[in-house]
Amino acid sequence: MRYGYYPGCSLEGISAEYDDSIRGLLAHLNVAIEEVPDWICCGTLAASSLSRLMGPATALWNVARAKHAGYDQLIAPCSACLYHFKHATKRVAENPALRAEIEALLELPLAAPPPTIHPLELLTADGFEARIRGLVQRDLSDLKVVCYYGCHISRPAAVMQFDDPENPQSMDRLLSWVGVKALDWSGKVDCCGAHYSLIRPDIVVDLCQGLFESALEVGAEAIVAACPMCHANLDTRQGEIGARLGRSLDMPVLYFSQVLGYALGLPIKSLGLKRHIVDPLPLMLAKCAQAGSAKGEVPSA
Amino acid sequence: MAPMALRHEFEALTGHDVNLCFQCGKCSAGCPMAERMDLKPAQVVHYIRLGRSEEVVLNSKAIWLCLGCETCSSRCPQQVEPAAAMNAARILALRRGRKPAVKEVGIYYRAFVNNMRLNGEIHDASVVAITHLRTGHPFHDLPLAWKLFTRGRVKPPPLPLHGGGFRKLYRRALDRDLDTGG
Repeated sequence: MRYGYYPGCSLEGISAEYDDSIRGLLAHLNVAIEEVPDWICCGTLAASSLSRLMGPATALWNVARAKHAGYDQLIAPCSACLYHFKHATKRVAENPALRAEIEALLELPLAAPPPTIHPLELLTADGFEARIRGLVQRDLSDLKVVCYYGCHISRPAAVMQFDDPENPQSMDRLLSWVGVKALDWSGKVDCCGAHYSLIRPDIVVDLCQGLFESALEVGAEAIVAACPMCHANLDTRQGEIGARLGRSLDMPVLYFSQVLGYALGLPIKSLGLKRHIVDPLPLMLAKCAQAGSAKGEVPSA
Repeated sequence: MAPMALRHEFEALTGHDVNLCFQCGKCSAGCPMAERMDLKPAQVVHYIRLGRSEEVVLNSKAIWLCLGCETCSSRCPQQVEPAAAMNAARILALRRGRKPAVKEVGIYYRAFVNNMRLNGEIHDASVVAITHLRTGHPFHDLPLAWKLFTRGRVKPPPLPLHGGGFRKLYRRALDRDLDTGG
């Protein structure tokens, strides 16, 4: 099985910690990935909103190259890229006229492209549970988290075909394999406000304040995310959200790949744990110390 | 233009039939932006159905406030896909020369797409800087920008990828779109 890897624009910049931790985690699990040659931006909502063709064409430029390279599956860690790839792939599969138009623009064929999947889809597929359970090095059983899936990973169901769009479980299940029991909560798929962070951060504060209130209500100490936009909003805007709630939140936002990688003993730096605005290290180290592992560091072999 | 002709344009863009909507309101109820919208999602669908999208929908703030979370399309019992209708409305509004009714959203989308056309891969700092300048907030988020920079989360400007070959794609996509558009 050959896996293509599409980091997307965020993972190369503002969400570098997600890229760090995914690459580190997959390498540790012996999953070889190949970065899609000549990839470009997926287009996101901006391209889709401005032009009938530019949206799908820019997404499918990448899918066509993944097909040309011969990958069996294409891994896209960013939920927005994932959504635009899956959506465009489905539309051209169902609409031969549109497919012909886009093939002409791309000068590449689009028949039977490899499916695009989220890393959560990969890791919760057959064969990974036993492997992951067997590799646990650090004890995080005392860490209280909620899993925040966001909008795109499972909506709409007909397009994304992964997990439940109202009460997804894949991340919760994955974390349980390393001993982290995610708490049930009401904010799993509520929107974070997406790109409004740049133009109307007050809207992000409005939407995210409810998320933090729900997380606090169930006793969470950290939020675990699977999307770079969600992570950016909850991490970089946390100060403003706390100000709105009249309290200091100090609630780290971690990617599932960071939690997993940490539990499997990967070095802190390789997981991007020093890149956050709200520092997760004090919490991670304290939880490990409480559970008995010395200071959260892997004992030397 | 005959009102139902525009409704057919919506259907051609989305592949979905707004006539199936029975106004249950689940889309409006779940929309995270509904309380800020001049038209709720169910109203947008209904106006399209009535053939009043030209004068009401294409000028609305709602279609630009929509952030594509797909809660509406996910919950619609009739597969009307209100989110697709919202996106189609944005495309149709621009084809008819309407400026986005939520100015800062239009500014951001344009800055984003222009940056894509320049570099292939987005350069976050450029998009952010241009958006802030054009929305009249030149000094917005500078402390945050510095924190991100010191944490290695600000990438340097990419060279145009692969010599800029992707630019042909955008030019041809937009030309074709204008040819076949309204």
